[in-house]
Amino acid sequence: MISSLFSYMRACPSRLRQTATAGAVLLLAGCSANPIYTTTGVVLSNYSESEATPYVMQMSDPKMACALGEGVDPLMYSFSRVTSAPDTTGSLLMLLAANCMEYRTWEAELDYLRADFSGDIPAAKDAREKAKRLHAQTAKRRYQAFQRAMAAYDFDPSAEPLECPFLFSEQDELTFLLGLLTGMQAIVNDSNSGAMAGVPRNIAPQAERAAQCVDNEKWGGLPNAVRALVWLLLPDTRPELAPDPWQVLENSAELGVQTGMRASHALQAVAAETFGRPQVLADAIASFAEADGRIEVWDEYRLVDEVARGVVTFSSDKHWTANYGHRTPKSYFGKMSPERSTENVETMDLDGLL
Amino acid sequence: MIRKSLAALSLAVAAPLASAQTVSMCVFDVIGANGDVYNLVKDYALEMKAHGVDFELKPYTDEGVAVGDFNAGQCDAVAATDIRIRPFNKFTGSISAVGAIPTYDDLKTLLATLAQAKAAPLMKDGGYEVLGIVPAGAGYLFVNDRSIDTAGELAGKRMATLDYQKDAIHMVNYVKATVVPSDITNFAGKFNNGSVDAAYAPAFAYEALELYKGIGEKGGIVDYPLAQLTIQIVARDEVLDDDTAQKARDVAWGMYPQAMNLIQGQEEGIPDEQWIRIPEKDITGYQEMFRENRLEMRDGVNNAPSVYHPKMMSLLSKIRCASNPGASECTAANRE
Repeated sequence: MISSLFSYMRACPSRLRQTATAGAVLLLAGCSANPIYTTTGVVLSNYSESEATPYVMQMSDPKMACALGEGVDPLMYSFSRVTSAPDTTGSLLMLLAANCMEYRTWEAELDYLRADFSGDIPAAKDAREKAKRLHAQTAKRRYQAFQRAMAAYDFDPSAEPLECPFLFSEQDELTFLLGLLTGMQAIVNDSNSGAMAGVPRNIAPQAERAAQCVDNEKWGGLPNAVRALVWLLLPDTRPELAPDPWQVLENSAELGVQTGMRASHALQAVAAETFGRPQVLADAIASFAEADGRIEVWDEYRLVDEVARGVVTFSSDKHWTANYGHRTPKSYFGKMSPERSTENVETMDLDGLL
Repeated sequence: MIRKSLAALSLAVAAPLASAQTVSMCVFDVIGANGDVYNLVKDYALEMKAHGVDFELKPYTDEGVAVGDFNAGQCDAVAATDIRIRPFNKFTGSISAVGAIPTYDDLKTLLATLAQAKAAPLMKDGGYEVLGIVPAGAGYLFVNDRSIDTAGELAGKRMATLDYQKDAIHMVNYVKATVVPSDITNFAGKFNNGSVDAAYAPAFAYEALELYKGIGEKGGIVDYPLAQLTIQIVARDEVLDDDTAQKARDVAWGMYPQAMNLIQGQEEGIPDEQWIRIPEKDITGYQEMFRENRLEMRDGVNNAPSVYHPKMMSLLSKIRCASNPGASECTAANRE
C-alpha cells in the first residue's frame, strides 16, 4: 500500500499537490481517470443494482424497458473505463437492449410471412434479408448479455465438474437465470441470421448444466424448461432417468402460472416451433391465454411475464400471418384459426317481426 | 365494361397465388426449425416460390423419421443427408464416398457439373428425382489421442460408426478398428465419455456437441476430409415437371456460397492446435487406400457392400485428376 502510494506520488506529483484532500479518491481512480467519474460510476452502478433494476423489473411495458436498455447501456458501461465493469446491471441492460432489436426482428419476420402469403416474392425476400440482419444484431447483444451475466458471478460455464456461483439475493438468481436463457436465445437468433453473429453453439449444453444452480419451483419452472429445451436439441445431454422433455415443459408452464411468471410458456412455444409440434404450440398459446384469467402475476418481476407474453404473441402472430396473412386478432389470442365462437348461439325467430 | 375489367384485374392478382403448386417437404436438421440447414431450405423455398412452387416445410430432428414420413407419403419431398438419400438415388447418394472429394474446390466443380441441365437424367432414379444438393461440410476424424495419426494406428481402437452407413462400417473394419454402432444423437456422448476412441463428424459438431471434451488434452482432429457430407432434396418424380425440377437444382446450386460460408465459419471456429496435420506422403497412401475401398464398394467384392454408383465414382475420379493431374490414380490401370 505504502509503496504504491509512493510510486503514485512519483508518477503524478503536480495533480497530487492540487488535490491533496481528495487523495483517497484519487488512489481509487488512478492517474488517468477523473475521480468524480470513478465515484459517479460506482454510485450509478450501485444505484442501478439496488434501485433501478427492481424498478424496471416490475414495469409492465417491455418496449419502454428495452428502450431504457438501449439508451442507458452505453452510458452505464462506459464507466467500465474508470471502474470495474458493472456486469450484473450490464447484463440486464444488454438483455433489454437485445429485446428491442428482437422486436424489430419480429416485425421483419411478420413482413416476410405476410409477403410470402400474398405471393409478393421480392418483398418477402427483402423482409427475410432484413430479418436475418436484425437476428444477427440481436444475437450479438444477447451473447454479450450472456457473457456479462456469467462474468458478474465469476461463473465459468464450461468448468467441469459444475461449480455453482454464489447468488446472494433473489435478484442475483434471476439475473443469472435470465443470462442463461439469453445465451440460449442468442443461438436461436444466430441460426436464423445464417450464422452471421458467430455465437458459439456450446452455450446450449453449458446452460443445461448451469440451470441446475437455481431453484426450479421458485422460478416458475424456468430452470427445468431451459434444461428440457436443451435435451430436445441435444438428446445426449438428457440424464438417463429424466422425464420426457415435453412433459417437463408442460409441467414448467403450469408452475409458471402458479408462480406468476409465464416465461416457461414462452420456452414451450419456442420448442414446439423448433421441433415441428403444431399441437403443442396450439396448446401452449391457448394455455397462456387461458391463464390470463387466473394468474396472479408476481409483481416484483412483472416485466418477465410481459416479455413472455410478447414471445407467445409473436408465435401466435407467425402462425396467423403464415396461414391467414395477418397477425392474431385480439379476441382470437389463444386460437389458431378464425373459427368464430359465435356459431352455436341461440337465435330468436324473426317471423313475427317481418 | 368496368365490371369486366375489374374482374380481369382481380383474376390477374389472384393468378400467381392460384398457379403456385404446394409441395410439402420434410426437412431434417439436428436442431430443428432454428437450425442452419432448415434456414437454408427456407431460403431455397422462397426462391422456388418465384418459380411457382410453394414448399411447405416441416422440421424433423430425427433423420430416420423424416425419411420414413417421406416414404409413408406424409410429405412430397425430403431434405436429408446423402447417406439417407442413397435408396432414392444411388448416383447422388454416392457423393459422400470415402475420400472421394479431398477438397472443397473439387466439391464445387462436382456440384456445378450436376446442376447443369445436361445432368438431369442422372437426377432421376426409380420414381424419385433429386431437386438440389447443398454442401454440409466435410467429415473429419476426431481422436482422443494424437498418436492415432495413421490408419494403421486405428487398429484395435473403438470407433463410433453410424449403424446405417454401410460404407463407413466397411472402412472401420478395413482398418481393423472396432465398430461401435451409433446414431447422430449419441455418437458425441460416446466420444466425450471415452467409451469410444474415435468418431467422425463435420466441423459443426465440434462446438455444438462439445466434441472438444472427448478430444481432451491429448486428442485432436485429423485434417483430412474423410467424406463430403451434403444435404439433398428429393421428391417423388411426378411432383415437379422437368423444367421446374431443373430450376430447383439451379436454385440449390445458387445457394452454394451461402452454405460454404456456414461451413467455413464452423471450421475456422476450431482452434488451430486441435488439428492434426498429416504429412503429404501419408496422404498419398490414404488416397490409394480409400480408392481401393471405393472400387470394392462399387463392385461389391471382398465382402464389401455394393453402395457406390460407378458413374459417380468415374466422375469424381475425373474431377480429382483435373485438379491434381499428377496423382498416381490418374494413370492407374483400374481407374474408377
